[in-house]
Amino acid sequence: MSEPIVVCQGLEKRYQVGAVEVPALNGVDLEIEVGDFATLAGPSGSGKTTLLNMIGGLDRPSAGTVTVDGQSLGALDKNALTTLRLTKIGFVFQAFNLIPVLSAEENVEFILQLQGVGADERRQRARTALADVGLGGLEDRRPAYLSGGQQQRVAVARALVAAPAVVLADEPTANLDSKTAEELIALMARLNEASGVTFLIGTHDARVIAHSKRHIELTDGRITADERRQNSRAAQ
Amino acid sequence: MMGALRLLAPIAWRNLWRNARRTAITLIVVAVGLWSVLVLAALMQAWAISSRDASLNLLTGSGQIHAVGYLDDPTVDSRMPAPSAALTAVLDAPPISIWTSRLRVPAVIQSEYKTLPVTLTGVVPANEKQLSTLPDQLVGGRYVSGPDDDTVVLGRHLAERLKTRIGKRVILMAQSADGTLAQRSFDVVGLYAGSTTAEDEFVFTGISAGQQMLGVSDAISEISFSLPDDTTLPDTIDALQAAAPDLDVRSWKDLSPLAALMNDFMDAFVGVWLWIMFVLMAIGIVTTQLMAVFERVREFGLLQALGMRPRLILLQVALESAMLVGIGVVVGLVASVATIAAFSGGIDLTAFAAGMDYFGAARVIYPSLTVAQYVENSVLVWILGILVALWPARRASKANPAAAMSVGT
Repeated sequence: MSEPIVVCQGLEKRYQVGAVEVPALNGVDLEIEVGDFATLAGPSGSGKTTLLNMIGGLDRPSAGTVTVDGQSLGALDKNALTTLRLTKIGFVFQAFNLIPVLSAEENVEFILQLQGVGADERRQRARTALADVGLGGLEDRRPAYLSGGQQQRVAVARALVAAPAVVLADEPTANLDSKTAEELIALMARLNEASGVTFLIGTHDARVIAHSKRHIELTDGRITADERRQNSRAAQ
Repeated sequence: MMGALRLLAPIAWRNLWRNARRTAITLIVVAVGLWSVLVLAALMQAWAISSRDASLNLLTGSGQIHAVGYLDDPTVDSRMPAPSAALTAVLDAPPISIWTSRLRVPAVIQSEYKTLPVTLTGVVPANEKQLSTLPDQLVGGRYVSGPDDDTVVLGRHLAERLKTRIGKRVILMAQSADGTLAQRSFDVVGLYAGSTTAEDEFVFTGISAGQQMLGVSDAISEISFSLPDDTTLPDTIDALQAAAPDLDVRSWKDLSPLAALMNDFMDAFVGVWLWIMFVLMAIGIVTTQLMAVFERVREFGLLQALGMRPRLILLQVALESAMLVGIGVVVGLVASVATIAAFSGGIDLTAFAAGMDYFGAARVIYPSLTVAQYVENSVLVWILGILVALWPARRASKANPAAAMSVGT
């Protein structure tokens, strides 16, 4: 068994909606291991996005702890959390979320620029990352001139280019047609296999779940199932 | 910092053109605002200088020296001796460019038809021509030729009122040094044009002729001096007062309070106009930048999620504002320079001559600004533009990434 890269213990999150307190997470204990290709599934409102936000340091829990690559997020201030996201976490969002004024290559390079990587190395790594997701030759195109699937591939390349400890993907196929979604998830699974990068994917897309090596079910803010799968398409 | 600028500058520049129409509107607001500030400043300054010069170049100069009490009672009794060696030494040295002595007393002028009050002004013509514009404003005849010339030069309007003309004789009457009435006839040799007030008041003759008529030997009423630059005026006044402690040394600001007031008023008016225009510009800048920030809440959340620190987001939005306002400032500056240069030959306000005379200004004004004035106003607008844009920038940097990312999903 690999060592855990993400550890959640007793994680709770409650939102105040007017006078009412709405629980989103109710004591989640979870360990994501290095090299996992895990899906986090559940109906809408089950807490998938909230849990991913807690792990990604985008939001703070009401109770419990999150540790990413040995660093407890609760002990980090805003700037330290930002640095942690920059260096240890890659994000892939449902709505692609590329920077519209930057080309595909510049979007990927942006993370490396924030890290202070030199121009030559930056360009080389960005081009390699784009080639890895099958976008060689489209480096200079801006998001508006890329299809949805291509934009999401750029987002995957951006998430992976800085070699993060874990990639968190929230409904990455929700805005894609089925063929493109299939290609994207196959790509992510392949990258997981090839480089061992850890993926935690929030989804209720059965095609994505079919590729996962580990499937976690979340219901009403609680983990109700957590199974490792030997016969996933990724494992085949 | 340079690394951050290298990272953010291209993004900020491209962001400017995401909404070209909004950017264009903001640019126009800034450019027109700065243009109006600079052009108005040039016009107001031209008017103020014209008004001041018209007043000072008449007779006042940069300052004057009198016997104590002359300004309250400008009669022959308030005369002073010819300047001492010590005073002459200061008057002859820089920064004073020219000075002259005058005899200046109230008098009555009489023609065959009319008797009117005037100020008899005995001058040293060679010096007077360098200090006053009146000798160059002749509309007929000649100016007084020397200190001993016992002819007179009248204002055109006064000559009309007296129904006299060049070649006729007039009689001047004034109190003499011994308290008796001195009177003498003079040939009219020239007529000058100026403001109606000046034309009616001043009658010029040679200073020695006037001294002889009043029996004051070489005594004078005033010394008028001129400086090329007003900045040295306070020190010059001090030096003259030290050289002539018994005399009353005054700057033009004391002697012509209206001209001084006009000068200050113009400066204040330009300042107020600058602030009015700036408030309008600020409203435009803040509104457009706030709209830009609100439209991009999700993007700012994304940038934070990806690992961009809030201060870099603040810097990026501030950089966008700096570029936006900066372009507007450059456009406004170029337009201002072109506009002011187009009028550098002078704006003829003859159509408003009566009004201009009332304010003591010349009929042609020459708008201009110094390079420093262009730069100071432009930089001020630019910096203030950036400062007001910090508010929307701060809002952008405060975006909560999780909340921002949920917008629109």
